[in-house]
Amino acid sequence: MLKITNLHAQVAGKEILKGLDLEVKGGEIHAIMGPNGAGKSTLGNVLAGREGYEVTAGEVIFNGKNLLELEPEERACAGVFLAFQYPVEIPGVNNTYFLRAALNAQRKYRGEPELDSVGFLRLVREKLKILHIGDELLHRGVNEGFSGGEKKRNEIFQMAVLEPVLAILDETDSGLDIDALKVVAEGVNRLRSPERAMLVITHYQRLLDFIVPDKVHVLADGRLVASGDADLALKLEEQGYAWLEGGGIKTLGNKNAGQVGTP
Amino acid sequence: MNGLAAQLAAELPQDSGTRPDWFKALRDAGAKQFRAHGLPTRKDETWKYTGLGLLEQHGTQLVKGAGSILSSLVAPVVSVANQIHMLDGCVQDIIGELPAGVTLLTLEEALSSGVNGLQDLLESLPQSPLKNRSSDGFSALNTATLENGMLIHVAAGTDGGRLLLAWSTTVDAKTDSVSRLSNSRICLILEAGANLELLEQFETPHVNTNTSNIVVQAELGEDASLQHVRLQQESDDTGLITRTEVAQQAGSGYTYYGFDFGGGLVRHDLHCSLLGSAARTSLNGAYLLDGKRHVDNHAKVDHMAADGFSEQYFRGVVGGSSKAVFNTAVYVHPGADGTEAKQSNANILLSKRAEIDTRPELEIYADEVVASHGATVGQLDEQAVFYLRSRGLNKEQARQILTTAFCRTVCDKLADRQLADAISQRMMDVMPRLD
Repeated sequence: MLKITNLHAQVAGKEILKGLDLEVKGGEIHAIMGPNGAGKSTLGNVLAGREGYEVTAGEVIFNGKNLLELEPEERACAGVFLAFQYPVEIPGVNNTYFLRAALNAQRKYRGEPELDSVGFLRLVREKLKILHIGDELLHRGVNEGFSGGEKKRNEIFQMAVLEPVLAILDETDSGLDIDALKVVAEGVNRLRSPERAMLVITHYQRLLDFIVPDKVHVLADGRLVASGDADLALKLEEQGYAWLEGGGIKTLGNKNAGQVGTP
Repeated sequence: MNGLAAQLAAELPQDSGTRPDWFKALRDAGAKQFRAHGLPTRKDETWKYTGLGLLEQHGTQLVKGAGSILSSLVAPVVSVANQIHMLDGCVQDIIGELPAGVTLLTLEEALSSGVNGLQDLLESLPQSPLKNRSSDGFSALNTATLENGMLIHVAAGTDGGRLLLAWSTTVDAKTDSVSRLSNSRICLILEAGANLELLEQFETPHVNTNTSNIVVQAELGEDASLQHVRLQQESDDTGLITRTEVAQQAGSGYTYYGFDFGGGLVRHDLHCSLLGSAARTSLNGAYLLDGKRHVDNHAKVDHMAADGFSEQYFRGVVGGSSKAVFNTAVYVHPGADGTEAKQSNANILLSKRAEIDTRPELEIYADEVVASHGATVGQLDEQAVFYLRSRGLNKEQARQILTTAFCRTVCDKLADRQLADAISQRMMDVMPRLD
């Protein structure tokens, strides 16, 4: 579904991604972990198409399309969703109005009929029920005055309504206490489906206690330097990122986890 | 005096007919001032960013009476039972059944029946200091030609409800090349405890090069309350020079909502004098300009008595090569202790060719005053644009949503949801585009 090959990207003239390769199949959850400044959020932003992130080499193929050629809104319509690390507050724009406009823009792009307000409300209720969250966020301005937890919950709610094929969760755990983290993680788990891949970007292992990934990758200095299953995350928690110094790609699994990466 | 002013001075009416002496004296004083000081120029501080080139270019002439091309009535933005329609400054039609205690008279009728307080009101129009007298040129011209207009009188304790005052101009079938300058005066008297909602709409259905010069004088008695909603959408070449002068007695409230969509040359001077204690003034507005449109708003509040409250809340979105001028001034005079005054003006520039000149002014000569002011000019928030695009909305949709929300904050202050929604819809229709 997603194939990233030799991706190089720079921000303000500084190279951040230095040849990143990654393949994600439909239904898989991949975690991207790594120290601060490794390029984790840059990866999310490059995939979503944020201005200021310049791709200098490599390609990203998403469901047969060259993702990098598409405008941000075209990527969204094609099924890419970025849950922001810092969701933007947009005072005065009603959350429900915004989400309906977004969903209908996507449906229109895909040649599907637009939803009227009754149909949309029905969908919203259904999603709120699945996520076990109340409707108190619906009537407010987009993220306007939301707490950190509410903002992240709102991202997950948008994801539920927009039903992306590929969801990128950029440090969704940052700034959350453990209760808020559980609510968000439970929401994500309820949205797991064989048709939906997820890229979970995080600095800390604790999110992965709740969202168990199929694969874990370690991003350091612009490249994936280690890949393994969920246990790799535990090892990182135990030993920190210091053992990565020196680089080199290592493949870790359950059985040999203890053999690799000891400083 | 420049060519346009000299030519208009030569066209001033000579004879006031069979009018009261005070009225003749008033007109003569206006004519004298206009002949001496002419029209404002860019040398006048308050006209620095607005020139009269468009009027000169059109060869604007003083024309008495309304044009003859049939003009349909302006459609009210919301349903309103009582309506006054003005065409080229003259009364075109009056519709509805007024509540008891509300009197509508043409200025001519009011003069001949000698309405109480009319003389005082007409004579009370404040003037600029002598050195800036030319900045009052349009008011002087309006006084010198005083004849057309309306008196709206609401008796003490009466709720006058909502009243539409619609303005339009038309062309003369015989001399359609003439750019008409029409003058009109509205006198609004709210006795103690009276209420009124005045919905003013300015629209020119025919594309034309006319200019309207309108002065509205409102006298609010003790504890009277006036809500004034103004919606202005002229054609690209039309001129509109308006002045709203509000005198407020103790405990009275004036609430203004102005929505300017521009025209060839649009200027509005809005001035409130808080003469009695504990008077309240709330001035709110949005201006949305595209193309080559021009709007100049000058809002000024004079706190002259204790414990007054005033707030000014204006939002602007300016695109194309349009130009918005926004000046807000608050003066807290000696003795106006305990005054609270707030000013807020924020603008979004959508184009490099567009221009915004905003200036907040605040002068305080009293004690225990709480005052704040701020003015900002910025672009669309790039973070917010990307956020919306990442959800599937294109750039144009993102702009539409963000600018509408920005201006909607003004509408949302209106208590009447139907009116707020109707105006919000108008705003969406005219919202300037990204370059």
